[in-house]
Order: sequence, then structure tokens, then C-alpha cells
Amino acid sequence: MGWTKIVIDQKKCGNATGGIDPRSCGQCLKVCDPTVFIRHETIGAKQSNPYDPEFWQVTAVWLDLCTRCGKCVKECPQKAITVTW
Amino acid sequence: MKHGAGGKWYLNARNYSNELVEEMQLKAYLTEQWMNFEQVYIRKMMGISSIGLGYKLQMPIAGRLLRWQAENMIHSEGKNRNPVRADGHFGQVIPLEEAKTIMLNLAAEPIIENYCMCRWMQKGCKDVCCINFGALSEVIEKLPRFIPEGTKVRLGRDEAVAALEEQNRKGRVATVWFQPVPYVNAICSCEVPQCGGLRLRNDFGLHTVYKAEYVAEVNPNNCQGCMSCVARCQFGAIRYNETIKRVIIDQKKCFGCGLCRDACKFDALNLIPRADVPGLKDQY
Repeated sequence: MGWTKIVIDQKKCGNATGGIDPRSCGQCLKVCDPTVFIRHETIGAKQSNPYDPEFWQVTAVWLDLCTRCGKCVKECPQKAITVTW
Repeated sequence: MKHGAGGKWYLNARNYSNELVEEMQLKAYLTEQWMNFEQVYIRKMMGISSIGLGYKLQMPIAGRLLRWQAENMIHSEGKNRNPVRADGHFGQVIPLEEAKTIMLNLAAEPIIENYCMCRWMQKGCKDVCCINFGALSEVIEKLPRFIPEGTKVRLGRDEAVAALEEQNRKGRVATVWFQPVPYVNAICSCEVPQCGGLRLRNDFGLHTVYKAEYVAEVNPNNCQGCMSCVARCQFGAIRYNETIKRVIIDQKKCFGCGLCRDACKFDALNLIPRADVPGLKDQY
């Protein structure tokens, strides 16, 4: 089986680049039983307070655990997730 | 740091001491580590991030090198440790009674209870369950996203013990953590699969979390087959066997957390020292 690719469109999700703040959503995190996604401070974004970062995004990290069930694609209110293989 | 042979690193008082904090200049190290800790799996470390880690570890030669490098990072005791990679950060499963012993006798002040980072980053939930102590408490108190709303942050020792018992009732596995080795400053109440440490251990075989010094054992005379223990196991190590009308334990899978024993009403489950079982004594 080849690699699963999960791309999250940062224009739609991720508050550093104009989309919504993933801290207030997190639907993909909750719906994914194998828990493939991670929500983290945006790397490279200028955070005004390093102790309290304001820019966050979601990345699919544990790709090999993905079963390609498509729940995240369906549940994402921003339609930001694509899963391909 | 060695495991087994009766030596329990988490019962050594020096590993909790303020001298160690000073000697290793841990406040700056832990601040650096925790400020952007959620980035730990995204960041490139020596050019490689954890994205698609399972695939990367399967690569023929590069995969073995990566595994070796990751284990070295997790267990690093070197002077050039990098805080943003969480070098030297690993832990071990402990049963409830030992977690209480640590909390009552060993944990350095101040003791705090804060939001679990793993659940926040991987399941989108804010859950107050991690107990930190010593230098780490003072670091975490400065980071607003970990500070629970509406409850007390600093706990007395008895309150911390009560919190651990509550987590045990909820079915969480107690784990004690080095960060960085040999300084001990946290007891977590972990849940699979959103625990970052248990994820790396269970899904990728990396030794971020060691099994406990114990392993569960059934007393066949006492087990009534009620199955109240079965749902508690996070490691798939216990199941009801209809043929013999009692539960059986797969001790190779057992992490020795004691959650099954804590739920048993018939005194049918015990923890025995791992070292007493010849086939398991070095299986941490």
C-alpha cells in the first residue's frame, strides 16, 4: 500500500493565513478515531506573545494510521481536508 | 538509566531535587521545551519530521537509522540536549499505589494540575489531568493555554492523591516522566491513542514509555467472570474466556498499570513483579 496523503488547505483552516482558528473548531481531531491529526502552533508565524501563541494550524501527522475512511473530509466545516493515495 | 533489577528510578529522591534543577539549569530548558511543545511532531529534527513516521520507519536502511536516532534522542543524557526536540523525555507506567507514594513523599513543590497537552493537540479536548511538580510547575504556570479555568491550579499533596485516584476511576493509566532524564517532574494519567508517549510506543515501538515493574496475574479461584476489568485495559491484554469462565491475561501485552486489579471486586487480580516472571523480566 502506498502513502496516504492528507492535505489541509491553510487558506481555509489555520488562523495565520486567513482561515478559521483551529482552536475553536477541532472537528477533525475529534472525528478521527486513529487520531491522525495534530493541532499545533504555526511554525514560522510571528507570535506576539511566545508564552501564549495566537497562530495555530492542524497537520495530519500519523499518516500510516489513516484508514482512508473519509470522515474528516466530510466533517470539516471549511471543506479544507483532502485525502488521497 | 537502567530498568529492572529491582532498581526503580522513580523512587530515587535525588531525581526530584532542586539541586538537580540548578545543576542542569532546567528552568530555561523546560521553558524552551514547553513554550511550543505542540510543534514537536511537526518540526524537522536533523532534517526529518514525524509526519508519516510509520512509513519512514519502514524504509529499509534509512528506517533503521531513523529508529536508532529517535531512541537516542528520547534517552539522551548528553550535555548538548535540545529542548525543542524534547531530548531525554521518557517515562514509565506505574500502578496507583506508587503514584501516591511519589505524590506524598517525593514530588517537589509546587504541585500543580493542568490541562493535558496531548489531549488538547490530538483530540481537541481540554482535560485537567496532568500533575506536574517542581521546576516544571513554575514553567507551566506561565503558559496560559495549560492553566485550567474554574479550578485550583496548585494542589496540596492530599489533593494530588485524590486527583490521581479520580483519574484511576476514569480508567487512565498513571505514568511518571523524566524531562529531561534524570529529573522527574510529572505524573500523567494517560489514555490511548491520544497520549503522545503511548502513541510512539504502541504504534511505532519507540521506547518513550516503559512498561511497569509489574505485570497482572489472575487468581483463577477468585475470578467470577464478571468482566468489569476487561473494559479498563488500554492495551488489549485482558479478555473473558468463555470456555474456562474467567478472564485471561496476555502478559506479553500487559503494561502492569493495575487498572484491571483496581476494578476487581473479588480480589482475583494481582500485580506481581515483572522480574519474577522469567519470560518477562527484561521485557520493558
